[in-house]
Amino acid sequence: MTEGRQMVRIALVAAVTLAAWAGLGVRLAYLHLGENTHLRDRVENIRRIEKEILVGRGRIFDRNENLMAMDLSVKHVFVDPVRIQENGYGGFIANQLGRLLNLSPATIASKIERTGRRHEYVAKYIPEDKAREIDQLGFNGVHFEDVSARYYPRGSLMSHVLGFSNLEGVGSAGVELRYDRYLRGVPGLRITEVDGHRREVYLRRGVDIRPQEGADVHLTLDQHIQYFTERTLDKTMEEHNALGAWAIVQEIKTGRILAMASRPAFDPNEFRYSQPEERRNRTIAYTYEPGSTFKVAIIAAVLNEHLVNPGDLIDCENGMWLYNRRPLRDYHAYGKLTVADVLKKSSNIGTAKLAMMLGEERVYEYLRNFGFGTAADLELPGEEAGILHPTRNWSAISLSRIAMGHEVAVTALQMVNMLSAIGNNGFLMKPRIIDRIVNAEGEEIYRSEAEALSRPIRGETARLMCKMLTRVTEEGGTGRKAKIDGYTVGGKTGTAQKPKDGSYSDSANIASFMGLVPAEDPQIAVIVVVDEPQPLHTGGAVAAPAFRDIAEQSLRYLDIPPVPAELAYHFGDEVPEF
Amino acid sequence: MFDLQRMIRMLRRLDWVFILSVILLILVGIVFIYSATYRSAENPMTELTRKQLVWVMVGTGCFLLAALTNYDFVAGQAFWLYSACLVLLVLVLFFGIRIYGAYRWLNLFGFQIQPSEFAKLGTLVALAHYLGTPSRDLRHPATVGACLLITAIPFVLILQQPDLGTAMMLAPLVFIMMYVAGVPMVYLLVLGGLALLSAPLGWFVLDDYQKERIMVFFDPGRDPLGAGWNKIQSEIAVGSGGWDGKGYMMGTQNILGFLPRTVAPTDFIFSVIAEESGFVGSAVVLGLYVVMIGCGMRAAVRARDRLGRLLAAGMTGLLFCHMFVNVAMTVGLMPITGLPLPLISYGGSFMICTMTGLGLIQSVYIRRQPR
Repeated sequence: MTEGRQMVRIALVAAVTLAAWAGLGVRLAYLHLGENTHLRDRVENIRRIEKEILVGRGRIFDRNENLMAMDLSVKHVFVDPVRIQENGYGGFIANQLGRLLNLSPATIASKIERTGRRHEYVAKYIPEDKAREIDQLGFNGVHFEDVSARYYPRGSLMSHVLGFSNLEGVGSAGVELRYDRYLRGVPGLRITEVDGHRREVYLRRGVDIRPQEGADVHLTLDQHIQYFTERTLDKTMEEHNALGAWAIVQEIKTGRILAMASRPAFDPNEFRYSQPEERRNRTIAYTYEPGSTFKVAIIAAVLNEHLVNPGDLIDCENGMWLYNRRPLRDYHAYGKLTVADVLKKSSNIGTAKLAMMLGEERVYEYLRNFGFGTAADLELPGEEAGILHPTRNWSAISLSRIAMGHEVAVTALQMVNMLSAIGNNGFLMKPRIIDRIVNAEGEEIYRSEAEALSRPIRGETARLMCKMLTRVTEEGGTGRKAKIDGYTVGGKTGTAQKPKDGSYSDSANIASFMGLVPAEDPQIAVIVVVDEPQPLHTGGAVAAPAFRDIAEQSLRYLDIPPVPAELAYHFGDEVPEF
Repeated sequence: MFDLQRMIRMLRRLDWVFILSVILLILVGIVFIYSATYRSAENPMTELTRKQLVWVMVGTGCFLLAALTNYDFVAGQAFWLYSACLVLLVLVLFFGIRIYGAYRWLNLFGFQIQPSEFAKLGTLVALAHYLGTPSRDLRHPATVGACLLITAIPFVLILQQPDLGTAMMLAPLVFIMMYVAGVPMVYLLVLGGLALLSAPLGWFVLDDYQKERIMVFFDPGRDPLGAGWNKIQSEIAVGSGGWDGKGYMMGTQNILGFLPRTVAPTDFIFSVIAEESGFVGSAVVLGLYVVMIGCGMRAAVRARDRLGRLLAAGMTGLLFCHMFVNVAMTVGLMPITGLPLPLISYGGSFMICTMTGLGLIQSVYIRRQPR
C-alpha cells in the first residue's frame, strides 16, 4: 500500500470517529442543557405521588349499642389474562374459580382469554374467607383487591331508617344519607416520593394530612321494639291483604322515636335489587287523609277554648245533615251525643258542629300548632310536610270536611306526634331518631336534646283528652280491640276512604289507630296505619289489634308498670270533666 | 535474562499522555461505582468498589506485562491464544453459570470469568497475526474469507450464550482489521453492503426480548414499565443532570433505584456520572476517551510494522466501539445492549482484558519506528 493511500485511510478513520464523537456530544448537550424540562418534570412526576388515605365509614347503633350498620372488609377478585395465558393453565383456573365462586367457568374463561389485558374483574365483594380459600390454591395471575362493603347485620330490620350506602361508600338513603358527612369521615392526603420499586421514601414525605375516621351514629330506635313492630306489621299485611302498613312507636315525654317501621321493606345489603316502593319510608314519606283520628285535634281545640264541656249535648241529626247544601253523614245514626261520645262514637256530624264553633281561623291555627302542614324535621331524607291549606283557599264545606280528617294530608309521624303532645301535658315535642354522634376518638360531637316545639293546648285540656280517649277503647267505643289487659289505653280509630280518580273510593281505605298508654301517665304513643286492607277495612278492626300487639310488647319490654287499679281510669258511660 | 536497564528504557518510551488518561478514567470509574453502589453510612466501602480496586491492580499488572512483552512474541502465540478462547467459549456453554437467562460466566479456579471478553482479545490477536504476516496476499479473496472464518467461529459461539451485544462487537473488529491491513476497498464496500442488506434478515433470528428492546428504542412509550424502563430512566437521569449535575452521591435516579441497581454500576454507569456531574462531567469523560483513543490511533500510525499497526488499531477500534455503543445507549441513541463502558464500568474480566489490550497498544508504541 502506498503512503498516499495510507493517509487517505487514516483520514477516513479520523473523520468517522470524530463524527461519532460529535454525535454523542450533541446528544449529551441536548439532554443535559436543552429545553427538556419535560424530562425533569417527569422525574418529579414519577417520584411524587399523591395518595388519598381512605377511611372506614362510621357505624350505626341502636339505642342499646347494637350494631345496625358497619363496614366489612371484603375482596374483589381479578385475573391477569396476560400472565395466565403465558403459563397456560387458563382452563383449569377458570374451572376452579367457577367452582369456588359459584360462577360459570365459561364466563371466567372468556375473561381470561382476553388478549393484552392485565386486569379483569372476576367477582366483586366476596368474603375474606372465600378469598383465602382461592388464595391458598396459589394460582399465578389471580389477584385480590381489598375493599370494604357496607354490611347491615340485621338484614331488613330498620331498613327504612338506616337507608343504605352505595357501592362507592356514599350514603344514599335514610340515616346513611342524612348523616353521610359524619359517617363518611374525611380521607387523609399524603404527598410523598417513592423509589424505583414504588416504595415510599419516608424522609421525603411532604404533606401528610391525617385521615379522620367516620363517626358512629347512635339512634334512639330500639332494635327489639323495632323487631316486634315489624313482625306485627307483617302479620297485619298478611291477615288483611294490605298494600302497605306502617307504624311508629314514640316515647311521649322526650319525642324519641323507639321504632319506625314500614311495609313493604327491603334488605339494605341487597339494595340494588329493591324497588323504589320497597325503599319508601311510609311513616314520613306517605301522606294520607287521616280520617277520624284527626277529630282528636279538633275536639282538643274546642275544649281548650272552653267553648263546650265534655258533657254538653251535640245534635248529631240522626246521621244525615245538610251543611251548606251538601250532605254530611255518620257511619251509624245518632241523635244527641255528649262531646265525649262524639269522640267515642266518632261522629262526623258532631265533630263538624264543634269545628264550626271554633271557626275557620282558630281551627287552622290549632292544626298548625299541632304540627300539621309542616315537616317535623326528623332529619331523615324524604320527609313530607303534608297538606293543610290556608283558610283563604277553603271552600264552603271545607271546615266540616277537615274536622273529620278529609281535605288534609298528614304523615303518620305528624299524627303520632300530635297524640304525644296530648299525652305530654300539651307540649308538642320535636320527634327525634338520632341520639348522639360519636367520633372515632370517642368524643361526642352531637347529642340531641328533648325540645318542645309548641304548646297547642293547656295541660288540663291535655289531661282531659287523655281521659276521654280511654273511652274509645271501652265497651261501645270504636277501638275496643286496642285494649291491653292491665293497662288503660287512650286512642282513636280512623278509617278514611282513599281518593281515587277524583272521588272517594268505596273499597279502598286507609285504616289507622293511634293510641297512648298508660293513659293515666302516658309513656308511649303508637300509630299503626294500614293501606287498603281487605275485606275488613276499619281502623278498629284492622289497625287496633296491631296497635295492641305492638304497644303490649313495648310496655313489657320497656318495663312500664300498669297504674294501680284504684287509680286506673275507668269511665264507662260516665263523662270525664275538667 | 532480566535486564533492568533495558526495562527502564522501555518504560521511558511509554505514552504518558495515554497512561494519564487511562488512570483518570479508572479513577472516575471507581468513584462512581462507589456512588452507584453506596447504600448506607455503616457500610460505605461497598463490595463492588473493593472488588473493582482488586481488578484494577490485576489489570495494571497485565498492562505492564503486555507492554513490556514484544508483541511479535504475543502474535506468535496467536494460534494457542485463539484456541484457548474457543475452548473456554465451548466450556461456558456446558458449564457456565446462568445469570439473567444467559450462560456468560465460567467458574475457573474460584474466579468467575467471562470468556466472551477474552475471546474478543483472542480474535483480535489471531486476526492481527493472520493479516500481519508480511507474505499474506491481501488482494486475494481467500484472505477475506479466512478473516471472516476466524471471526465467525467465536461469533457463533458467543451468540449461543446468548450475548448478542458482545458478538456484534466482532463485526466492526474484523472490518477494522481488514481496513487497516489494506484489504482492497472494493471487498470492504461489498462486505459492508451485504451486512446492511442482511440486517433485516437478522430480525428473524432475534429472540423476543431482543426484538422488544429494538422496538422500544423506536417507541419508548410501548412498555414504559418493562423493556422501556431502563431507556426512559437513563434519559431522565442524564437530562436531569443539567449543566453541572446534582452533585456527587446525590443522583436521585440512582439513589432511589429508578436506575436498576444491577445495571447502575455496570452498563449504565455513564448515566450515573451524567446525572451527578452534569454536562461538565460527561464532557470530561468523553474528552478523556478522545485523548486515550487518539493516542491509540497515534500508536497504530507510528507502528514499526503491519502487525503492530493491526494490533494497536484493532484494540483502539474495539475500545471506541464499546465506548460509543455504551454512551449512545445511555443517551437513547441506540437500542439497549449490555455492553460495558471501558475502564469505568464494574467488571473483572472486562477490566483485565481492556488493560491487557491497552498494554498491547503500548507494546506497539514502545517499539514504534523512530521519526
